[in-house]
Amino acid sequence: MYISRHMTADPVTVSSAMSLPEARALLNDFRFRHLPVVDENGALLGMLTDRDLRSAYPSSVLTDSERRLVYEKVEKTTVAEIMSTDCVTLRLDSTLDDALFLFDRDQMGALPVLDGERVVGVFSIRDLTTAYKKLFGVGEKGSMLIGIDDDGSHGIMTRIVNLLEEQNIPFTRLMRVYDERKGNTIYLRINTFKIAKVYSLLEDAGLAVKRA
Amino acid sequence: MSAPLTIITDQRYLEHDTGGGEHPESPVRLQVISQALEASSCFADIAFAAPRVAEREWLAKVHTEDWLFRFEEAVLAGRTYIDHTDNQICYDSYDIACLSAGAGLAGIDLIEEGKAHNIFCLVRPPGHHAEHNIPFGFCFFNNCVVAARYWQYCYGKKRILVFDFDGHHGNGIQSAFEDEAAGYYISIHEHPSFSYPGTGYADEHGMGEGKGTILNLPLSPGAGDSQVVKLLQDVILPKLEEWQPDAIIVAAGFDAHREDEMTGLLYSTELYHTIGLVMRDWAERFTEGRILSILEGGYELSVLGDSVEAYVRGLLGR
Repeated sequence: MYISRHMTADPVTVSSAMSLPEARALLNDFRFRHLPVVDENGALLGMLTDRDLRSAYPSSVLTDSERRLVYEKVEKTTVAEIMSTDCVTLRLDSTLDDALFLFDRDQMGALPVLDGERVVGVFSIRDLTTAYKKLFGVGEKGSMLIGIDDDGSHGIMTRIVNLLEEQNIPFTRLMRVYDERKGNTIYLRINTFKIAKVYSLLEDAGLAVKRA
Repeated sequence: MSAPLTIITDQRYLEHDTGGGEHPESPVRLQVISQALEASSCFADIAFAAPRVAEREWLAKVHTEDWLFRFEEAVLAGRTYIDHTDNQICYDSYDIACLSAGAGLAGIDLIEEGKAHNIFCLVRPPGHHAEHNIPFGFCFFNNCVVAARYWQYCYGKKRILVFDFDGHHGNGIQSAFEDEAAGYYISIHEHPSFSYPGTGYADEHGMGEGKGTILNLPLSPGAGDSQVVKLLQDVILPKLEEWQPDAIIVAAGFDAHREDEMTGLLYSTELYHTIGLVMRDWAERFTEGRILSILEGGYELSVLGDSVEAYVRGLLGR
């Protein structure tokens, strides 16, 4: 669950004195959208995003002469002048959940990960979706998700686990999701193709499988 | 003049023993299909031909040497399953799987020699879940991909369509084709959030040179005939007109039937007749009537025979 296992470690960083064309070339070459800006000790000074750069470059509705003027200005501008300095950061001991809350609150695309003051990684929203995909087994070959009505009866989770284990049916996830409006559901990710057998096993034991 | 339809099958397919009783992928599947075809009004139009054992050279175009050895060793050691209890095996399973993969090769030779044009391989074990180095979901060798490679390498086909109407996504076929331009994999299946093998999301379109050569069309549980017909007409046909396949392989699975508990899809028996007619139409439009179908899933014995018979009637244009 720790960010350190899912982040891009040792990310490409830039100095605050770098010119915008150089920074833009770097973003394009590596197909990044976020660059941490650091000092000579690797400490975070700010973040530069492709959106910051797009805003700095001339708009396509300008005339040629206006565009030329903006280009001349851009060439003399340094990263320090357009980077965001009010940065939200993660630490090595931050969790996926910490990142989820921050992304949800601030609508960022990526966050720098710090060890003390030093930038040691970048964690993007894509890293987050990849990590949660893995956590929940989404797209895991050879598996499928079954929903079971949760009637709240005592020991229902134990009954499900015992039924599966007694029949040697592999499963990798068991989740209880509360929903006051639509009813509580227990989700089970089973790793077998013998689906009819699993349905019969659960239904014969009095459990209500959510079928189509 | 070749027969309107040639079926490639063999009694030895019954010898792949999956442990009896409760395993859905049982030899009885082929027996109920044979019975339904023998009772069919179109039986007289069907010719029968024998498969051949797929040579290692062709298996190795799809699968790793490691997997070939591991599978062979497992059966020789007398193991009852490999990697997962779903994948039941017996002493003969390796040989029968080679014979299953070889049906497509024999069929392609018949097509290319002008001795047949419309072929249906009634084989087991099935293949579309098998990956290059691992078995999945009762599948050991990927029969459709082995056939595709043979058609490409032996006969120079450059634009092979593999259309999969099994209720489950053919993860192994997608893996084989997703980064190359010479194959187009189109699959209609139950949505992976609800169904085995948990793959086949609509946003997967292929990678690198293969970008645009995967078309996953997942259906929600409860979907049935009308959704499939709409996809065939409105979505897939225009894509094929644009892509112009030069060979067509059909992964023909029948487990999306409303009576088959392996998916939550609700296809009727009659839909398989419609699909057969559409396959015939595609073959006439794009490949001079030449088409190779290979049996995949279909586990509800009370409807499997009739579903296959309906598909065959469609393939015959009846």
